[in-house]
Amino acid sequence: MDFRLTEEQELLLESLREIMARDCTEEYMKECNEKGEYPTRFINALSENGFGLLGVPEEHDGTPVDTMTMMLVAEEITKNGGPHFAFGQALSIVDMLEFGSEEQIADTMRAVKAGEVAFVLGFTEPQAGSDSSAIATTYTRKNGKVYINGHKTFMSNALRAPYMLCMARNADDAGNPDKMNAFSMWWVPMSAPGIKVERLHKIGWHMMDTCEVYLENVEIEEKDLVGVEGNGFKQVLINFEVERLLMAASVLGMAECAFEDAARYANQRVQFGKPIGTFQLIQEKITYMKIKIENMRNMVYRCAWEIDNKMPVQISSALAKLYCAQSSFEVIDDAMQIMGGIGYTTDTRISRLWLDSRVFRIGGGTDEVMIHAAGRAILKQYK
Amino acid sequence: MNIITCYKIVPEEQDIVVLPDRSLSFARAEWKIGQYDLNAIEAGMQIVEAAGGKVSALSVGDKQLENSKLKKGVLSRGPEDLYLVMDEQLENSDTFLTAQVLTAAIRKIGEFDLVICGEGSSDLYAQQVGAQLGEMLNIPTINGISKITPEGNKIIAERTLGNEIEVLEISLPAVVSVTTDINLPRIPSMKNILAAGKKPIIEWDLSAVGLQGVTKQTEVISTLAPENVERKKVIFEGESEEVIQKLFESIRKELL
Repeated sequence: MDFRLTEEQELLLESLREIMARDCTEEYMKECNEKGEYPTRFINALSENGFGLLGVPEEHDGTPVDTMTMMLVAEEITKNGGPHFAFGQALSIVDMLEFGSEEQIADTMRAVKAGEVAFVLGFTEPQAGSDSSAIATTYTRKNGKVYINGHKTFMSNALRAPYMLCMARNADDAGNPDKMNAFSMWWVPMSAPGIKVERLHKIGWHMMDTCEVYLENVEIEEKDLVGVEGNGFKQVLINFEVERLLMAASVLGMAECAFEDAARYANQRVQFGKPIGTFQLIQEKITYMKIKIENMRNMVYRCAWEIDNKMPVQISSALAKLYCAQSSFEVIDDAMQIMGGIGYTTDTRISRLWLDSRVFRIGGGTDEVMIHAAGRAILKQYK
Repeated sequence: MNIITCYKIVPEEQDIVVLPDRSLSFARAEWKIGQYDLNAIEAGMQIVEAAGGKVSALSVGDKQLENSKLKKGVLSRGPEDLYLVMDEQLENSDTFLTAQVLTAAIRKIGEFDLVICGEGSSDLYAQQVGAQLGEMLNIPTINGISKITPEGNKIIAERTLGNEIEVLEISLPAVVSVTTDINLPRIPSMKNILAAGKKPIIEWDLSAVGLQGVTKQTEVISTLAPENVERKKVIFEGESEEVIQKLFESIRKELL
């Protein structure tokens, strides 16, 4: 087994650290977080230095790299205290590049090249969270046009993205019990009349907007269909395992960030006449935190390696997402315990990491959905 | 314009350990391209992007130069090719020997219009190599340059002298040393890094540049970190002129 990074990967991470030292300082992160502002300066710096097109196929002017490299970048950003959503668009646009029309691909790439978010992923609805088949948004054909009606929720970047990739069911086919073939994807301009966006108030991820989106008789055209009518679900599924792994890599970096802050603090902070790191109860925490980080990293890297070697990752990607989301939160929580009172203030980034990491157990497939995905598949191997 | 930018491989400052006997250990140090040399490379790149031409990178030294990641690192910053003179004799080379070897290498490379050096090396910062190199090549040599504008077969260069800016017209070929104010070095993208692995690298030893058997003329006897000094633990309170004067006097007394 060779755990070494390639020279190219090392140089890429050096470049990333250089960018972050210039444009993603903790001072800047703190300011964006407090004001609820998008970290435009950092996102632009990433884009200007080619990170926005990293992992994008060459025919779209990108620099293709393997999954491992993508995960290393995602991990490094959060490890240095940066925002997880700053990277990885190359993975979320795969559906569009695969199924989108020429015009839709051009719309997507225009935004990606400018370092902007191309589209809102319009799946989740109030009654359709983990149960995507409960999606109730409809499309209706009338006078040669298509009309969308529905209510989407937890829409990341709805305030800034120019389009929504909207999952909807055919209104004329509402009673269809066939879940897999009931949905279609539509390319809906967020500026279209009839769209109302309301920002949600979250406990974390203040730098990125998450919104309710109401669609009322939103008029689009036949040409705005993405891919094949009725294939919405199948089209979504082509890349979700890599996206799942990306979340695991990001949350691993967040745990590493908190861990390093806490370990340094344990060496510095003096109580009862000596650094708290000399107390065995602190050493125990540090040791188990380190074990969890090693486990997370091994799962993420191994799964990335499996993807790069075209091996199935149905189980390992679900396990990695589940384990990393839970363990990362535990590590960050222990880091806060080591930091004590100061860790609960906004003077340290531990408090931000603590709030920001919790949602990884909910978004992108809940813990419970990961167990549902992995559990059955594991048991099947022993039938 | 054909430009040669010179650089030095130096230890990462943060990794240098001061041992109990005050000597320095580089055993655990990562090696990197000198910080000031990155400005020199960037200056070269900006000239050829504005006026056309080609940038080559050049370094002389011992086995540290073999590090293939560092070779790619230099080339990912833009130069089209890389020349290295590697020899055991060049371990801890002094500025004179370095300039001598650079001169021989540049002569062997052949045609050039401009040689750009960083203001000094990131480790010893003697600021001698650029000046000595120009002298040995017997061409115009200016240091402290903070702006370069190419203009036909000459360059217009600026250097900051206190509150004044001196504007110089320098005929080519020439050797200039640039300050860190001249630019903010670009950060290599993955595209640049991948391209770097495909660029040509030309490696020579001392005999290849006709300098077999040269040795350095100086020898460093010791390099020691400053002795630790006990804190004075004197606190001056207040903001009045008088208090500030007192603080100033006591610092002066200590320094004299």
